[in-house]
Amino acid sequence: MPLVKRPASDTSPSAPDRAQLATKLLDGTDQERWDAARDALEHPDGLSLLGRALASERVPRVREAIFTALAKIDTPDAASVVLPYLRSDDAAQRTAALDALKAMPSAAGTHLPALLSDGDQDVRLLACEIARRLPADESARVLVELIEREDQANVCAAAIEVLAETGGPSSLPALARCGARFPDDPFLAFAVKAAADRIGAR
Amino acid sequence: MTDAAKKQILVVDDAALVRTYYRAALEARGFKVEEALNGLEGLEKILLQSFDLAIVDVNMPQMDGITFVRTVRAMELPVSSTPILMISTEAGPQDIAAARQAGANYYLVKPIKQDTLAEFAAIFCGAH
Repeated sequence: MPLVKRPASDTSPSAPDRAQLATKLLDGTDQERWDAARDALEHPDGLSLLGRALASERVPRVREAIFTALAKIDTPDAASVVLPYLRSDDAAQRTAALDALKAMPSAAGTHLPALLSDGDQDVRLLACEIARRLPADESARVLVELIEREDQANVCAAAIEVLAETGGPSSLPALARCGARFPDDPFLAFAVKAAADRIGAR
Repeated sequence: MTDAAKKQILVVDDAALVRTYYRAALEARGFKVEEALNGLEGLEKILLQSFDLAIVDVNMPQMDGITFVRTVRAMELPVSSTPILMISTEAGPQDIAAARQAGANYYLVKPIKQDTLAEFAAIFCGAH
């Protein structure tokens, strides 16, 4: 019998069976769910399965594996699955979500304008860390825009923290205006001066 | 030498400007300051050296502040009894409750004045 080469597009023998993968992801032991999170990367429906599993997963180690798998998928849709967890009441979930988004800066970057304009100041604040992963010019541009309109000092402080690294001389006027808008915030005055000093020293 | 000069404080925060701000406030009062960039690095330092106080942020990469506090409290004495002051922008009651439940001694909401920080450090270090 002649050997017939399998078409490159036919990955069914190596792709885990969907139902089996879903069962492991949703109802397996901790180790099986952890393994399944990694296996889901190879499955065409991996993204939706990972999103469903993340919604119900409570074990930190498995949750981390799911966030890591989503970061490896590295698409705007994968970032969309992660975004709601920035609003979690659980600090560990927020941290894991933010770490995943920072690991896929290009994909997460497509959501950045919306995140930096979000109605929740905590989301805007965390989004500054995603902006840190953009190319420096782009990072500085979006964060200067943010501090020019932002009314929460803590969000400005988070943006200035990043601008101290990514900003340039063109960021300095916006930094000064931002500091002037919050004259009663001692940390912001400190941060503006420190960031200006660092930018000036480069 | 004042009491504060003998006290060692660990500052755990991923924001460089925040660490610099805290360090300036604490060193001006004579405290010795060590820094960690996240909860994991904080754990490494607190296992290697005894601290009179840890000042810890909530949102940090790799390990958040709540997990850091919970982990420290689950360790053996004397590490588990290290006083911990949490400082965060998270001002909701659920955030404060989570910090207290994890074992933080006190929770301050940013922004914070340098004098206020140094006062609280002195209170929890017993350096008054």
